[in-house]
Amino acid sequence: MGIKVKVLGRGTYEIEYRNGMRVSDVFKKLGLLSTEYVAVRNGEVLIEDEKVNDGDELVLYAVVSGG
Amino acid sequence: MVKCSICGRRAVYTSRTSGHSYCNRHFTDYFSKKVRRTIRKYQLFRPNDHIIVAVSGGKDSLALLHFLKKLSRYSPRWKITALLVDEGISGYRDITIKRFQEIVSDLAINYEIVSFKEELGYTLDQVVSSKHGKEYLPCTYCGVFRRYLLNKAARKIGGTVVATAHNLDDIIQTYIMNIIGNDWDKIIRLAPISGPATHPRLVRKVKPFYEILEKETTVYAIINNLYTGFEECPYARLSLRWYIRRWLNELEEKRPGTKYAILNSLLSILDILSKKTNLSLNEEIDTCIFCGEPSANPICRACDLKTRLSSIELNPDAHKRIDELKHLFTNKYRILPITKQHYTT
Repeated sequence: MGIKVKVLGRGTYEIEYRNGMRVSDVFKKLGLLSTEYVAVRNGEVLIEDEKVNDGDELVLYAVVSGG
Repeated sequence: MVKCSICGRRAVYTSRTSGHSYCNRHFTDYFSKKVRRTIRKYQLFRPNDHIIVAVSGGKDSLALLHFLKKLSRYSPRWKITALLVDEGISGYRDITIKRFQEIVSDLAINYEIVSFKEELGYTLDQVVSSKHGKEYLPCTYCGVFRRYLLNKAARKIGGTVVATAHNLDDIIQTYIMNIIGNDWDKIIRLAPISGPATHPRLVRKVKPFYEILEKETTVYAIINNLYTGFEECPYARLSLRWYIRRWLNELEEKRPGTKYAILNSLLSILDILSKKTNLSLNEEIDTCIFCGEPSANPICRACDLKTRLSSIELNPDAHKRIDELKHLFTNKYRILPITKQHYTT
């Protein structure tokens, strides 16, 4: 199934799931810095060490302001 | 599942310097304690303050508005007004104004909107697309005019203090930018509270998020439903700040604690600079000879830019004369200011 990642202000991406994958791995896969995004799953904020599951839908909120 | 270091519930934030993790509730406590400590340490507010919260409609300023509104329960004599400056950036500001109005309505906070168009005669989009608007980057015009209008509008509303949502990341980015520019007089102004120089028309400015990381304001905004969309200013990527920010974030990723270390460096240098008498720190700020607003020079930066944009029509020799006057004033000569003869009719 993979993981669907919506990056606010950038677009939506699909990435392949690997066993034991964490939020920090999702950031790396997309070439993003964990200092610049906060991951949310089903309305709940996830820290970088949190495990993700196959089929998860994540929303990444930009930390950097748009102005 | 990573657990909260205090109660064992699911964590939403981990401090990379202390290693402590926090759940929703304990993150809010941690965040609140940090901001209240800054407010206390630097005595940012007084019991009878009319606080003007400078709001852009972005997550940081909405988080500040939300936080101060909650805190005002313990300071019943505070009055809070939200103030938004509409620069006139199409496809950006129109969206954030809508969000701003929804949230101030939910929080039951009075608000005011002032616009470049009404106050200056043109929008930022018009400035940057005009013949004379290419001299500086858009962020220069925007920053100068915004600060100018914020102070003017805050005073008009009757505000006693302006609270801005500048966070630790913003502060250290500006610090690095000013080091690059060798602008030590600007670094002096990077304290959590404006000053030390004063002017009767200058409303005190404070930065309650001075010691809060931008990542922390983001988590606060998300868990309080204040972060409802992301719009990027079309001019943002043109600024030096954009590159400095990326560089600092990469550094923080590799060496957690770097940002706090840079803030500590700034606090040390502010302490050293405050003891340097030759920087004239306690002198009164000048008054602009054109508009009467507080200014570091005889002609304020806003009027300087306005003349360059020809909203104040000057004959060809006048710009040269302005530069000469600035030089003379800077060197402490006292001569007559520009008179009407320099205006074109």
